[in-house]
Order: sequence, then C-alpha cells, then structure tokens
Amino acid sequence: MTLSINNLSKTYGNGVKALQDISLDIPTGMFGLLGPNGAGKSTLMRTIATLQDADTGSITLGDLNVLTQKHELRKVLGYLPQQFGLYPRISAQVLLDHLAVLKGITNKGERNELVKALLHKTNLYEKRKHNLGGFSGGMKQRFGIAQALLTNPKLLIVDEPTAGLDPMERNRFYNLLCELGENTVVILSTHIVDDVKELCTNMAIINQGQLLLKGKPLDVIDNIEGKVYQKTIKKEELEHYKQQYTTISDKLFLGKPVINILSDTDPGNGFIAVPASLEDVYFTQLNNNN
Amino acid sequence: MWYSIFKFEIGYRLKRLDTYVFFIFLFLFSIVAVDFIYGGVDLGPVKKNAPIIIAKTMGALTGITMIIASLIMGVPILRDFEYNIESLMFVNPIKKRDYLLGRFLGSFVILLFVFSSMIWGNALGQFMPWRNPDDQVVFNLVTYIQPFFTVVIPILFFGAALFFISGSLSRKLIVVYTQGLFIFVLFMLTRGIKNEFLGAILDPFSLNTLSVMTDTWSTAQLNSQLIPFTYVLFYSKLFWVAVGVLILVFGYRRFNYNVVKTSASKKRNKTETPINVSPNFDKILPSFTIGKGLKAQCTQLLQHSLFYFKSILKEVSFWAIIICAMVIIFVNSISLGTVYGVDSYPATYFIVEELMEMSGYFFIIVMIFYSGELIWKERSIKLNLIYDALPSSDFINLAGKFIGLNLIYMVLMLSVIIAGILFQAFSGYYHFDLGHYFMSFFGDFLPFLSLFTVLSFFIHVLVNKKFVAYVLVMISFITIVALPLLGYDHNLYSFGGTNIGVYSHMNGYGHFLKPFLWLKSYWFVFCFILFIVTSIFTVRGTETNFVKRWKQSKHRFTKPLARATSVAFVVFVLIGSFIYYNTNILNTYWADSEQLIFRAGYEQDLKQFEYLPQPKITDVNLKVELYPKTRDYTAEGYYTLTNPHDHAINEIHVQKLIEDNITLDSVDLSGGATVDVQYENYGYYIYSLNKPLQPGASIKMNFKQSFITSGFENREFSTKVINNGTFFNNQDFPSLGYNSKYELRDTGDREDMGLPSRKGMASKTNTIELKNGINGDDGYNINFEIVIGTDLDQTAIAPGALINQWTENNRSYYQYKMEERMINFYSIVSARYEVEKDVWTPTNSTSKPVDLEIYYHKGHQYNLDRMMESMKMSFDYFTTNFGPYPYEQMRIMEFPRYAEFAQSFPTAVPFSEALGFMLDIDDETDVDMAFYITAHELAHQWWGLQVVAANVQGRLMVLETLAQYSAIMVLKQKYGEDKVLQFLEGELETYLKGKAKEDGEEPSLSLVEKQSYVYYNKGVINMYVLQEKIGENNVNLALQRFVSDWNAFDSNFNKDRYATTDDLLNYFRAVTPADSQHIITELFESNTPYINSISDLK
Repeated sequence: MTLSINNLSKTYGNGVKALQDISLDIPTGMFGLLGPNGAGKSTLMRTIATLQDADTGSITLGDLNVLTQKHELRKVLGYLPQQFGLYPRISAQVLLDHLAVLKGITNKGERNELVKALLHKTNLYEKRKHNLGGFSGGMKQRFGIAQALLTNPKLLIVDEPTAGLDPMERNRFYNLLCELGENTVVILSTHIVDDVKELCTNMAIINQGQLLLKGKPLDVIDNIEGKVYQKTIKKEELEHYKQQYTTISDKLFLGKPVINILSDTDPGNGFIAVPASLEDVYFTQLNNNN
Repeated sequence: MWYSIFKFEIGYRLKRLDTYVFFIFLFLFSIVAVDFIYGGVDLGPVKKNAPIIIAKTMGALTGITMIIASLIMGVPILRDFEYNIESLMFVNPIKKRDYLLGRFLGSFVILLFVFSSMIWGNALGQFMPWRNPDDQVVFNLVTYIQPFFTVVIPILFFGAALFFISGSLSRKLIVVYTQGLFIFVLFMLTRGIKNEFLGAILDPFSLNTLSVMTDTWSTAQLNSQLIPFTYVLFYSKLFWVAVGVLILVFGYRRFNYNVVKTSASKKRNKTETPINVSPNFDKILPSFTIGKGLKAQCTQLLQHSLFYFKSILKEVSFWAIIICAMVIIFVNSISLGTVYGVDSYPATYFIVEELMEMSGYFFIIVMIFYSGELIWKERSIKLNLIYDALPSSDFINLAGKFIGLNLIYMVLMLSVIIAGILFQAFSGYYHFDLGHYFMSFFGDFLPFLSLFTVLSFFIHVLVNKKFVAYVLVMISFITIVALPLLGYDHNLYSFGGTNIGVYSHMNGYGHFLKPFLWLKSYWFVFCFILFIVTSIFTVRGTETNFVKRWKQSKHRFTKPLARATSVAFVVFVLIGSFIYYNTNILNTYWADSEQLIFRAGYEQDLKQFEYLPQPKITDVNLKVELYPKTRDYTAEGYYTLTNPHDHAINEIHVQKLIEDNITLDSVDLSGGATVDVQYENYGYYIYSLNKPLQPGASIKMNFKQSFITSGFENREFSTKVINNGTFFNNQDFPSLGYNSKYELRDTGDREDMGLPSRKGMASKTNTIELKNGINGDDGYNINFEIVIGTDLDQTAIAPGALINQWTENNRSYYQYKMEERMINFYSIVSARYEVEKDVWTPTNSTSKPVDLEIYYHKGHQYNLDRMMESMKMSFDYFTTNFGPYPYEQMRIMEFPRYAEFAQSFPTAVPFSEALGFMLDIDDETDVDMAFYITAHELAHQWWGLQVVAANVQGRLMVLETLAQYSAIMVLKQKYGEDKVLQFLEGELETYLKGKAKEDGEEPSLSLVEKQSYVYYNKGVINMYVLQEKIGENNVNLALQRFVSDWNAFDSNFNKDRYATTDDLLNYFRAVTPADSQHIITELFESNTPYINSISDLK
C-alpha cells in the first residue's frame, strides 16, 4: 500500500502558497516530513487527513481517492493533530470509548477490551478514570495517539507530536510509534531533525510549500558524506565566515559559535571534517531554498 | 493603565461583526417593538407613541433582549481563557483593578452603543406605514431618548454587572446565559408581589413601576407627559444599580488573578505523580470488528446521543434552569382560571397552560443556546480535527446532537410536569391528568422545539459564525411567531405549523388533533430534508468557506442520503398537497384581504334590502340530525311566515348563514315561488311569490339544510358541531333579509374598502330599529317544536318540555315542544352528560313548579349545589318581585371551554366549562360566582326573554343592567350585604379600567351602546345605589310594572315597538319620591360616576 501525492497545490485566501505542486510517494513504514514552522506540513497533513481540500492535484491511498472518498479513507485513518483539546470533564476511558464507537467498533465487549488495551499501551490505564482536564501535556499527547490507534489504521498521521514534550515523554512516544506494524503508512511531521533520524525509514523535506528533498535518511546523508567541515570560531568572525563559505548552520557550543560548512574539498583554515548528519542535510536544503 | 485596556476593548469590539449584528437586530426589532408588545392590547385613547407606551415598550424590550446583553457582557474575560492567552495577560504588569475595570467599562460602552439602537428604532417605528396616524401623537424625539436613560440604562448596568461577573468567575458562557433566565425569574417573582409599592421597586424592567407612576394620570397626561425620574421609578433604578454595584464588588473580590482555577490545580497536583509503570508499548491489541450496516449505525447514533445528553446534564447551569423552571409554577400559579376574582381548581389543563406560559421561555432559551453550543461543541474545545477525521457519517454526527438535545428537552419537561403535579398535590387536587400533561409537552411542545432545533442547526451550519447565527436564530424565531399575527398564516408556510389547540375536559383535543398531526408530519418531513442539507454542509475539517463546502457537498451527498431526500421530498409534496386539499379546496382559505372584499361586497350589493318588509316567523318546527362523530348535521322542517304588515309581500329574501360547511339544500314556499340566484355567492336568495302574501296571511317555508364538515381548515376551526359538546343556536338556520352582522366594523377597513363609516347604535327615535327585537327580528312570539337525533350516548337539549324520547337505528332522539310562545331564539346542545335534577316549588300560586336540571360533564360536580340553589332562590326572588315565569323547565348545560360565557335561551342556559363548573370557591374570601352567574342568566328569562329591548341606544341597560341588579339581589338574599359590596368593589374596578380605555366619550346608561363597562359594571353599581336610595321594594315594584306592561309574549301585549330605557326610567320615576327624582337623572342619564369608591356605599 502506498500513499501517492501528485502535483498537490493549495493557496489560502490570503495569498499564502501553502503547497506548491507537491508530489510524493509514501510507502508503508515510518515517513518523516521535515520542515520549519510554517512550511506547509500541517496543511499537507490535514489535506491527507481529509480535513482540507487542495486546489489542484490528487492523493490516493491504494485505490482510494483521498480527496473525494473521504469517508472511505477515514475508515482506515488514524490522525493526531498538532493541537487539540479534550473535554475537560470527561474521563479518558469514556472519551476513548466514545471515539471508538464513532470509529465503528459497536460491539461493546470488544470495545471495552480494546479501550483498556490501548490505555495500557499508552500507559494511561492508571489514569483512565481521571478527568481529561487534569492531564499533563505528555499524557494528553499519549491519549491522542491512543485514539489515533483505535481500529488499527492503515494510514496514521501524526502532526508535530513531540512539540512541547520533555525528553522522557518524547522517548515514550517514539517507542509507541515504533511498535506500529510494517503494514501501516505512518507520516510523522516534525521540525525536529532527531525525530526523523531516530524513527523514519523514509523522509521528505518541505519548506514554503515546496518539496525540497525526498529519500531515505541514510541515502540523503550519504550524498553529502565527506563534504561537511566544522570549526569553532569567535562571535565577531561569524559574518565573515558566512560570506566566505557555504555555511550549513551555526550553533553555539559552550557559548562559542560552531559553524558547519559544505565543501567539496578540504577548506583548511582550521576546519576539520566531520561525519555528515541529517541535520546538515536539512539545513543545506533550507539554505538552498532560501 | 485601565484606559488603554478600555480603549483596546472598544477597538476590538468595533472591529467585530457581532457588534453590528446586535445593533442592527435591536434596531429592526425596535421598529416593530410597540406593535409586537402591544399587539393584542386595546390601548383605548392612549396613543401608540405616548411616553408611557414607549417607556414600557423599552422596558419590555430590554427584558426580551437581555440575552444580547449577556452575549456582550459575558465574554470579555472569558475570551482570554477561550483563546488561551490568559497567561499572557496575567503576567503583564496590569493590576487586577485596571484589567477588570477596563474590560468592564469597554464592554459596557459597547453595550450602550448596541442598545442605543432602541432609541432610533422605536422612533422610526412611528413612521412605519402600518401605523395609523390617528393612534399617534406628534413626534417628539425626547419621548424616545428619555426612557432610554431612565428605564433602560440602569437595568442594563445591573445586567452588565451580573453577566460580566458570572462570566469572569465561572469562565463558562453557558453560565452567563442562565443568568438571563435568573433575571427573568426575578421579574416573574416581582409580579407575584402583592404590595404595589414593593412590586414597583423590584420590577427590573419597570413595567409595574411605570404603571404605578401613572396610576392617577388622565389620558391627556398619558399622551403628553414624560414619565419623571422620581418616586418609585427613581428608587427602583437606584435599587437595581446598587445591586449591580454590589455584584461588581463581590466579583472583584472573588476574581482570581491566576491562570488556573484553584479547584483544577488540586486535581493537577494529583496527576503529576511520576509514572514508574513498566512500559506496555508492545502490548498486542485485542482483535475487534468494525460494525457495519444499520445496527451498527443505530448503536453509533444511540451512543452519540447519550454522549451529548450526558454532557449537557453535567452542566450546572442546566440544573439551574431546571430548578428555576420548577420553582416558577409555585411562585406564579396562585391564580388559575380566575373568573371575577375566584380561582379554579388546579385542573391539569390550567396547570399545563400555566406551565407553558411560565416555562416556555426557558425551553426556548435552552433550544436557542444549547443547539448553538452543540454545533460548536467540538470546535470550542478544539477536538474538532480529531473528531472530524473519524469515519462516522455527517448525518449521524448531527443526529446525535439533535437527539441528545431532545432528550434534554424531555428531562426539562419531566421536571416541569413533576412540578405541576406537586403543585396540584399541595393544593389538594389529585386528578392528575397524566395523558394531558404528556400530550401537551411531549406531543405538542416537544415537536415544536425539535423543529426549531433543526432550523437553528441549519442556521448555525450555514452561517458558521456563532454569534451572528444566534441573532439570526432569534430573528427567525420572532419572524415565524409574528407572521401569522400580520395575516400571513397559512400553515403550509408558517414554519412548524400550529399548536394542538385548546384542551377541554368535555371534548379532549377533539377535531384539532387530526390537522395537528398532519401539519407536524409535513413540517417534520420538511425538517428532515433541512437536516440532510445541514448535515452535508457541516463544517468538517478546516474548510469553512461556503463555496468550498458547496463543492464538497456533492461528495457528501451520498447515495443513501440522496435516496432518503428524494423519498422525503415526495412525501413532503404529498402531505403538503393533502393539507392544501383540505384547507383550500375542501374548505375555503380566506386571506384577510379576500375577506374584506367579500364583506364589503355584501354590504354594497345588498344593503338596499336592509329594511325591505318581510314576514315574521311564527312557527318553527324542525328535525335536526346531529352526527357528533363526523361533525355534521342536517336540519329539516318549516317556518310559518306571517305577514304582519298592512300591505302584501311579494318577495321573500332568504339568507343562508355564510359558512362553507352549510348548504341550503332546499327551500320550498307553499303556494310556489321563483327564485332569483344573482346573489347566490352571498348565500342570499330572493323568492318571488307566485301569489303575494296578504296582510295577516301565512305561508309555510319548508327547508332542508346540511352542515357537512369536510377535511380540516387552516386555523380557525369551527367549534359548533363537535365530538362532545355541540352547541349552536338558531342563527345557523336560514334568516330573512339583509343581515347587518356581515358588515365590516373596523373604521380603517371600511375606509380602505370605500365604505362610509358605520354609525353607532340607532337613537331611540329610529322607528324601524324600535321594532327590531333580536337578530333582525325575523320572528318573535313563535311556537317551537324540535326533534333532535344524536349519538346513542349523548343527550340532546333544546328549549321546551321534553315530550318524547326514543331510540332508533342506534341513535337517540329527543323531542321538545314549548307549550307557551317564546322568542325566536333557541339553542341546540348535545353531549355525553351527567344530570342533576331538582324541582323548584313556588310559594305563591301565580307560577307553576319548574323542573331544574343541570347537565354537566362527569367530574365537574364541584359547584352543582351552588348553581341549583341559585336557580331556586332566583325563581323565588324573581317570581315574587318581577312576575311569573312562563315555562316549566330550567336547564343549565355545560359546553366546552372554547368560549367563556353563559347565555340565556328560553328554559335553557348553556354554561361554559371555563366559567363556573371548575371554580374553587371559598365562602369566606370569595364571591360565589357560580351562584351569581346562574342568577344573572336566570334573570335574563325576564330581561330579554320576556321584556324585549329595542335595538336602540340603551338596549343593553335594559337587558344586562337589570340582570346584574337581579343577580345581586339574589346574592344578597343568600350571602348578605357584605358579599354584595365585595362584588361591587370588583365591578367598580372593572368600570374604572374600562373607562380609562374609552376612546370616545362615556355614554350615560340610558344611551349606552357597546360599552360593557357601563352596562355591566357601572350599571350594577348604580342600580345598587338606586335601591339604597328609594328602597328595594320600590325598585322591584317599578320592575314588576315594567315586565307586566312590556312582556312581548303576553297575550295582551299590544305595543307596536319594544321597550327602551325611556320606558324603564319612567317606571323608576313613578316610584321615586318627588324630592329624589333628580337621582334617576344622575344615575342613568348622566355619564359621571355616581360613586368613586365602594366606601361611599357603606
């Protein structure tokens, strides 16, 4: 099963071009959609999740036309939006049970078992009777994934799931996602490079509504392997270096700027070769695009 | 600092569409406000734009639109929480005082801006084309501006404080809305306050207050003077503003300038315990099946409905509404079914009507707000993206909300019914008519709410702007309710159809039920289609643009939905056609204008025949077959027509009653005649006799007429011939000549139709009207005989002695014959009756014993003894003091409460179910109205049925004033002087109210026309004064002579006209001492009240 996105474009009423002619084939397994804030990730995700319409282009999942057969798609969809709220005065179990009914699990016994199992799986079982209003951000996010996993989706869309989570919660979340079968198309959108690196077998980078790169993380790293050099410099030198070299990124290490540059040959000048990382790929692409 | 917050608030609001929508809504509503609020009220001489009317209108309008105030004032603080920016706001170095003050004042200024539209709207209303310039005084802008400041602003301030604080403290919009109900309950409470001054102070909308302020004002003052901001009005406003300030202070103290409410943070602490549970990530999920088909969908729908139902049940505010709705009946149901100050037993129908009136507002609030809240529920909590991506169908999602809300209505209804039953039980009344409770609420009110819920859903979904949608829902609601009042009343386009109609113990829902069910089906099918449309346009996902939704709707309009819609559409058209067939083809639907044209045409074409000499009916012999089940009858028989004139008559003009149901199947005049049918459309036939009818000669007019009910009508269902409780009189049968009752009465209508204005009653010098006794005087002094056939289980009653009774073809037949001559006025009554019998035995020998019978509906026996005793004492008093009673029967027959009156026919008094049968009379505190009304009606056996009053000015004094006098004399016999004075006190009050509403000049009693406050209320007081001044015996002596000389049925009667007040007053004068003669003039020929207070009589 493959999710195919073909020539998808979307322009908002205010003129923002959220998606520009995006084409992507997403196979089963984890797929990372990487891009900065405002790149159009959420627009793309919502469009795939039947919640928004594209101006042109098509999306298919196997034989399903996502844009017109919304109801059919929803039957195999699990979706965790970037931001969501929960009824504050209802318990996790009640709401999950309610959502399960709406997903079509109408047999009461089966539903009870499933809801319990999912709450176990997401480590919310202990808190199942508590009102959702008192849930922490991580618990809320885990509840979100629990509801997305109801009915074993064939297509699972998780939009920026780790934003705002502490490292512990993030790890828990990754573990959850990893467990998903090989048969599911899982699309994870994020602006955190590590998320993709650690989880995804395929990935794409988008920015300003455009698809910059698609491939397997290892392959795309391979493309720039041996071309990344690093140097710790002084703050006032930063501008100078940026003009002289193809800078990938600059960040602080122990308060001093460390810059990564891209170069086909050894630039010398105190730069040392470092192994290419996905982050380098990401920033390279963004820089090119800008 | 507060100032910049204040400025921000105003700026923010001015950029919002809601603000202008509210403004425009109030503006538009204000234009029609006076017409809306004073719709059915007769203002009398007070003009529609008199300061008092405008002030009251603005007060009431503020009350009705308090909801808008809650929408504006509830949100300023709440908004920060809703948009989750409270943390940003509260960490700023803003003081709590500045924050609250700025927000409050900013919103309040906007509130004043929005409500100021009242001034301009009301002022513009004066210039609307439907206002009659005669009803208005000269435009004065101050009339509109002043009450805005004195009446509206203070209570707005109170409301603003309440809504602002409740919104800020609860952080829930729905709590704010319920505060509106809270004010309404307060308002209702103030209406129950007996102390006038206190009631005036506490009335938030100043309706009482303004009445108290202007109690003593003359009409001229009312029309010209502004209501000063002094006395109770000032105190009242001071009180409410003070309460508002208190609320603000309280709220300010309580407002927690923290992000998290304390209660929530406690819970949070509990959940923050670290999780050390071993990971279960690899847990295998159990297998499950995805339900398919109808059963699964039903389960989904059920679960969904229950989910929303429970979510509302959890709202504290909903329970607040329930408690208010339950309490209000106890506050306001002190007086039920009141007749002249006497309350009725709390029969279920009274309770139901009371509950509907009191709590209807609550239901409508619940409908308007919860329907909106449910549509926005997922979005307001931001669960919508998860929710919208679920594979549940649009239809089921919406249907779940719909059913959930209907369950809520049911809970509210059950609570209200329980309150009603408790009220009955506390009042010691245990005949709980559960069927009626349930039918009224679940059968009638629930469908009404359901239909409007669908409409509200539709508006919210299409408009997709919450507050705009709320206002639109309110506008549609008001428009739909108001349209029929403006004459656009066909049920095929009046959304929701009508309600079920009046319930009577005798006739149940009667024939109202069938059209009701058809109409509701029609509108339910319509709403089903509307519901499908709504479901395919529901916002799902983030596309809110209507064009996008339009495009998507094609995909969402699935095959099953399309099939359902087409079936529904066909059913809709079929039911609609069936209704149309009933209302417009089987029956005639009269648009207002058509009726005007018809009636004007009648007058223009036929007025020429008004005084054409016609013979008189001298015998009536009929056979009437009643079919109560199908609501039909046939009448067959003859009139004997005698020519009383001194010249021959060539033409006989027969007027059929103009009514669709009635056909005059045949008319056959002995001796033969040719008929001219050129006025057939008016049911008017001119028969030219083959042989002229010579003076003194007679002919027989045989006729056959049928009354066939076919199908049902649009709104005005006839209640004459019904399943149980048929009552009609001889006006149903053919009459002779032109009938002036069809003439248009309203001066404006007559003007529009180009007719000259109608004069009042004829003067006492009008020789033609002096000879007109009753209903055009087609006949007087008739011999009467009738056979009535009816259903086996019913009793049929007409005047006269029951001379035969038999059963034939499974039907009951009753033959009545009047042994004496009587007036041409008889009733035909048939129902399933219980009967109470007794005999009045005269103490003197001039009268014969009279059989007394009361025919009543089973269960209505409360006051039979009072009525029976009243009949006996009346006969005692009247035969002793006025003259003999010519007949040997007297019957009272109960008829359903579609009308509230009792009427006297020879030997028969049809008496409404609503009037005396259900009264709960306390002999200590009440006047026994069952006794009194009975006596009044019996008195008409002398005043009206023996003495016939000429159809000229003063006629109703002869008939009604004398009946009133006679009745209080009997009342005095039974209950003594004090009860009479208690009764007169009420009469004086009614008189003064009537006088205040008098448009023209109050006439004296001797010239009275249609002024009931004169001939009933002032009449009885002045008669009492008369007997005080010249003695009861003298008055009775005069009346005895009057009857004796003017009894039109006496064989010696030889006058060529009927009695007038001049005749009556001559008899009074004859018994009045010379030095008191002036009193007759003062009491009856002058229009100034003789007494102003009952204490003058003591």
